[in-house]
Amino acid sequence: MRRPIRTQNLGGARALILHRPHPTVQALTRQLTAIGLEVEPVWSELGPEALGADFLFFDADMGHAGQFPWPEGSPPMPMVALVGSEAPGRIEWTLKTGAHAHLLKPVGDNGAYAALLIARAAFDAERALAAEIAGLRRRLDERQTVVLAVSKLAARGRSEADAYAQLRQMAMAWRITFEEAAARIVGRTTDEEGEHDRRGRG
Amino acid sequence: MKRRIEVGLLYSRSGSYSLISEACRTGALAAIAMVNADPRLDIHLVPVERDPAGNVDLYGPLCGEILGETSARHVVGCVTSWSRKEVIPTVEKFGGTLWYAVPYEGFEASDHVVYTHACPNQHLLPLLDWAMTSRGRRAYLAASNYIWGWELNRLAREVLTSSSGEVLAERYLPIGSPDVDRMIAEVRFSRPDFILNSLIGPSSYAFMAAYHELGRADAHFRPETCPVLSCNMTECEFPALGDHARGLVAAGPYFRGVSGWPGGASFGSSHEAAAFAAVRELARLLAHRPGAETESLTRLLASDQGRAGVIDPETHHTTLPVIIAEARDGAFHVLQHLGSVAGDPYLTRSRSAAAAQPTLRVVS
Repeated sequence: MRRPIRTQNLGGARALILHRPHPTVQALTRQLTAIGLEVEPVWSELGPEALGADFLFFDADMGHAGQFPWPEGSPPMPMVALVGSEAPGRIEWTLKTGAHAHLLKPVGDNGAYAALLIARAAFDAERALAAEIAGLRRRLDERQTVVLAVSKLAARGRSEADAYAQLRQMAMAWRITFEEAAARIVGRTTDEEGEHDRRGRG
Repeated sequence: MKRRIEVGLLYSRSGSYSLISEACRTGALAAIAMVNADPRLDIHLVPVERDPAGNVDLYGPLCGEILGETSARHVVGCVTSWSRKEVIPTVEKFGGTLWYAVPYEGFEASDHVVYTHACPNQHLLPLLDWAMTSRGRRAYLAASNYIWGWELNRLAREVLTSSSGEVLAERYLPIGSPDVDRMIAEVRFSRPDFILNSLIGPSSYAFMAAYHELGRADAHFRPETCPVLSCNMTECEFPALGDHARGLVAAGPYFRGVSGWPGGASFGSSHEAAAFAAVRELARLLAHRPGAETESLTRLLASDQGRAGVIDPETHHTTLPVIIAEARDGAFHVLQHLGSVAGDPYLTRSRSAAAAQPTLRVVS
């Protein structure tokens, strides 16, 4: 774990159990209610209200992709698979759903709390990584802008190395990313050439 | 004509925490005697005892013996969380119930356990509130190396850091070890505002003795400026502590002589009181309902008697008085009585003031 586990914000959280009526649902409901969650069993389709749930437990044995009202593999909340059959095909499908943790069936007296914490941690980590990757992608996409900005600055008589260092200085002074600074330079020099003064922006 | 009902007792009569076991056993036996002598109750409880002698590996098998070889469905027992975790699979297998009468670290709500002593929202959180309000926010955390200490220290760290407090160190000793010199040296150099002592048995006795000495050498380490806090120390361990208990600040549901315990009786310690309450509540659930002795805990709690009882049917925890008290002259004296609080094992139903305080950060 990169961060300590926070335990105090599960109270009143909403959990859906997507499973046909079964003692496993009762046992899991008992555990989740004891922990302090509000529990709602659902079968066989998830309605739009599913989007308001904080956790989703789903049957990995009889489940199918059509049950989830979101693109396959990208659930908007932590998901816990209820695994009975360990047949490779079912495990493969479970992985495709994007489940963050699992509980083995039959569900008995314990296991739900660990599954909740593990699923939430995995979900949070997934979210953080996705945001980081998107940021890096955006910056990669700006490679051309950076090249353009450096060559514009270099065109004023500096070496490319000096121009690069100057751009870095500007980014630091403006407290923006290197790529955003490059976009600003490219924009401004273009504006100057077009005799527009838009220095007030930004 | 009284129905004869066997009840298991699973307490270690020797080993490092036998003072606590004996206190619990005393409370359970007192309640059994009281039930048996009560002409209004149609049941006669017969204790079936097994003694694991402080050996954690014997708890599971001996509990299995009680549930498998006698007619007992209910076992009152266990002191350490470690032994409780060993026993749970056995009571689950036999459909029995463990009545657990010792403060513990929470984050459990077994379908087969009733928890009649305090969990953290009834001991640690109010105790930290008291310490942070009256002494300061810099803490030294000392504990025995098993789940009780680990979880108490984790919670203490969570509460302290979210309240702008500081954990100066977090140290563990193996159960039974008296090697407290390193801890005492660290305490001396880090000069905390208070010490949370979650050591058990001989480790705790050695720590309290050495800390008492430290207080003689350096006035900072006296109860007025740097008290030792405990969620597991009760009067039953005074014989082993002697004068070294002076100034210890403890949280618990009962202290000797404090009135207001459900049922009104008086006890030597909260361990005794909680085990007594466990047996009394069990008797209440079984009385006047022939056949109830074979019912599962869930069924018992769903009965009319169950619904009228002190056990929360969702968590199997109990509502208990929350008291902060200081040891002086061989007795605990109440510092704060915070009324009755329902057990909240996952800390999801209530929040202490300290834990609820938002964390404010400078945004740059």
